[in-house]
Amino acid sequence: MNIVLIFLITIFSVSLFFYGKSKTKTISIKDNIKLNALPKFYGYYLVLWCSIPALVFLLVWSLFEPVIIKSIIIETAANQGAIFSDKNEANLIYEKIKAIHLGTYFGDLDSILRESALAYAKFINLFTNSKVVLIFGIIIASVIYSLKKIKNNNKARDDVEVILKGLLFVSSLIAILTTLGIIFSLLFESIKFFSVINIFDYLFGTNWSPQRAFVRDASSITAAEFEELKDAFGFIPLIAGTSFIAFIAMLVAVPIGLFSGIYMAEYASIKVRRISKPIIEILAGIPTVVYGFFAALTVGPFFRQVGENLGLTVSSESALAAGLIMGIMIIPYVSSLSDDVINSVPQSLRDGSYAVGATKSETIKQVVIPAALPGIIGSVLLAVSRAIGETMIVVMAAGLAANLTINPLESTTTITTQIVMILVGDQEFDSPKTQSAFALGLTLFIATLILNYIAQRAVKKYREKYD
Amino acid sequence: MSNVKIKSKNLNVYYGDKQALFDVNLDLNEKEVTALIGPSGCGKSTFIRCINRMNDVIDICKVTGNIEMDGININDKDLDVVSLRERVGMVFQKPNPFPKSIYDNISYGPKIHGKGETKSELDQIVENSLKKSALWEEVKDRLDEPGTSLSGGQQQRLCIARAISVNPEVILMDEPCSALDPIATAKIEELIDELKKTYTIVIVTHSMAQAVRVSQKTGFFHLGKLIEVGKTEKIFKNPDNKMTQDYITGRFG
Repeated sequence: MNIVLIFLITIFSVSLFFYGKSKTKTISIKDNIKLNALPKFYGYYLVLWCSIPALVFLLVWSLFEPVIIKSIIIETAANQGAIFSDKNEANLIYEKIKAIHLGTYFGDLDSILRESALAYAKFINLFTNSKVVLIFGIIIASVIYSLKKIKNNNKARDDVEVILKGLLFVSSLIAILTTLGIIFSLLFESIKFFSVINIFDYLFGTNWSPQRAFVRDASSITAAEFEELKDAFGFIPLIAGTSFIAFIAMLVAVPIGLFSGIYMAEYASIKVRRISKPIIEILAGIPTVVYGFFAALTVGPFFRQVGENLGLTVSSESALAAGLIMGIMIIPYVSSLSDDVINSVPQSLRDGSYAVGATKSETIKQVVIPAALPGIIGSVLLAVSRAIGETMIVVMAAGLAANLTINPLESTTTITTQIVMILVGDQEFDSPKTQSAFALGLTLFIATLILNYIAQRAVKKYREKYD
Repeated sequence: MSNVKIKSKNLNVYYGDKQALFDVNLDLNEKEVTALIGPSGCGKSTFIRCINRMNDVIDICKVTGNIEMDGININDKDLDVVSLRERVGMVFQKPNPFPKSIYDNISYGPKIHGKGETKSELDQIVENSLKKSALWEEVKDRLDEPGTSLSGGQQQRLCIARAISVNPEVILMDEPCSALDPIATAKIEELIDELKKTYTIVIVTHSMAQAVRVSQKTGFFHLGKLIEVGKTEKIFKNPDNKMTQDYITGRFG
C-alpha cells in the first residue's frame, strides 16, 4: 500500500513539474510578464510542494499507525473480557489477533479472539482508507496552494533554495544523529558493565578470561561470583597485543609504503606510474578476510616451519604473521596517500633546489619530504588507526588466548578479536561477558579518536611551520 | 668592451614535437646585465633554462646546439650538471623559499657543495649572502624564522641570497619582479645594479621600463627566434627590426 502511494506521489510530482513549467511559460508569454524565476524553478516548486508534505505525512503516519492500532485493539480485547496480567501477555494476545487476521493462526479460537480479530480488520481498513484520503487531501491542498503562488509570480527560485537547504540539513542531521546513537548505545552498555566490574580492575588488570563470567544475571551476582569475576576482565593484555601487532604492521607498512610513494611520485615515468599505481591499489581492494586466511594458512605455517628448522618454537598463530600480513594490507594506504602528498609539493620548490645544484635525492630528502611531512604523518597515523581497528586478519591469524608477551613468535590477541569472540554464538545480554564487548568497543573508539586528534594536531602544527 | 661569458651557437629546443627555440645565437657579456624581452611563450625562459640545464628536469625536452661558457660547451651530456648549477644560479618568477628557516634556506646550497665546513664559516656565508642581497638588516635578528614568513619582496631577495650563497659566476633571473609590488621591484632592481659588479646577469622581463633601467644589452625574442640583439639604448631608441619597434612601442605582444 505504502509503495503504491509513494509511486503515485512520484508520478504526480513529475507530471506537475512539466505542467508547472509550461504553465508559467504560457502565463509569461500571454500576459507579457517578466517572471521572477526561470520556468523550471516553478516546476521544481510544484514538485517539492506536491511531494514533501505528502511524504512526511506518510512517514509519520506509518510510524504511529501500528502503535495506535495496538493500543485500541488491546483495549477492545479487554472490553470483550480478555484477561492479561502484564504487558507481555497483552502483547501475546495482540500478536494472536494479528495472526488470525492474516490467516496464520492455528490455535484454538474463542469468541473473544474472534471478535477482536474482526475489530482489528475493521480498524486496519479504516486506517488505510483514511490514510489514502488524507494523503490525497494533502496533495490537492498543497498543489492548489502552490499553483496559486505561481499565478502570483512569487519568488519560486528563493523558495526552492530554502527547501533544498532544508533537505541537505536534514541529511547531515541524520548522519550526526546516527553517530550519536552509536556512541550512546556503546556508552550505556559499558556503564552497565562497569557497574559490575570496577573500571580500574578493567583498565589495569593483566588477566583476560571472560569465559569465566557464566553468571546469568548481572544484577543477582553473589559475593563469591564477584570475587571470581573481578580479575577476569583485565584490559592490559588486549591493548598490549593490539599495539604489538599494529607496531609490527607499521614496521612493514611505513618504510615500504613511503618509499614506494616516493618512487611513484618522483622517479616513475608516466608509463610505469599508469601501470603500477593501479596494481598497488588493488592490494587495498582485497577483502581483509582473504588476507586473513592467507596469513593463517600460508604465512603462519611457513613461519612455524622456518622456526622449527632454526630450532625455535613458533606458534602457528603468531603475532608476527598477523602483523606482517596486516602491514602488507596497509601498504597501499601509506603509499597512495604519501604519493598524493608528495605530488602536491609545488614544482617550484624542487626547481629552487635543483637550481643551487642539488641532486634529485638531496632535493627529495631535504626539501620535498620536509614540505610533505604533515601529510605523511597524517597518512601514517591514519594507517595506525586502520591497523588498530582491523579485525579479520587478527581473528584468523593472531590467536585467541590473551597472552601478555612481547615475543612475536607467540600467539597473542587483540581488542577486535575479543569483541568478535564474545559476540559469536548465543548471548545473554545481561551477562558481564557480553557487556564487556561494549566496553571494549568504547575503549577502541576512544583510542582511535585520540589518535585521530593527535594526527590532526600534528598536521596542523607542521602546516603552520611549513606553509 | 667586456668579455663574452656565455655564447650560444645554433641553439634549438624541442618540447616533444613542438620546437620552442630556433637557431638562437646570443652572446652574454661578463659582469653585465642582459635583458631578454618578448611576448609570452616566445622562448625567453626556455633560453635561460638552457644555461643551467634546468630543462633536463622536463622529460620531453630536447636541446641541440652549443652553449659555451668560458669556451666549454655546457650542453655536453657528459657535463656534471651539479657543478654547472653551482656556477650558474637562478631566481624564479615566483619567490620559492624552502619551507625551512631563513638560515637553512641560505646554508642549503653551500652544505650540498661541501662549502662552509664549520658552523662559523657557514654563518659567514649566510651573513655575506644576505648582505649582498640587501636583506641582512631586515632579518639578522630572526634567522631561525621560516623563510615563508617574509613578505613577497623579502622572499624574492632571500631567493637571490640563496642563489648567491654558492658563489656562482652567472645569475639567471626569470621575471623576478612579476609577482612583486613597485616598491619591492625597485629594491630588486637596485640590487641587480649592485650585483652586476660581481656577477654576469641574465634577466627575463615583461617590463620594457625595467629592461631599460637595469640592462646594458637587450635581446628581443619572438616565436622562438631571436629577432634582434644589441645595446639596450639602441634597441629601445633605434631598433633595426620593424617587429622590435612594434613590440617596444606596444603595438603587439
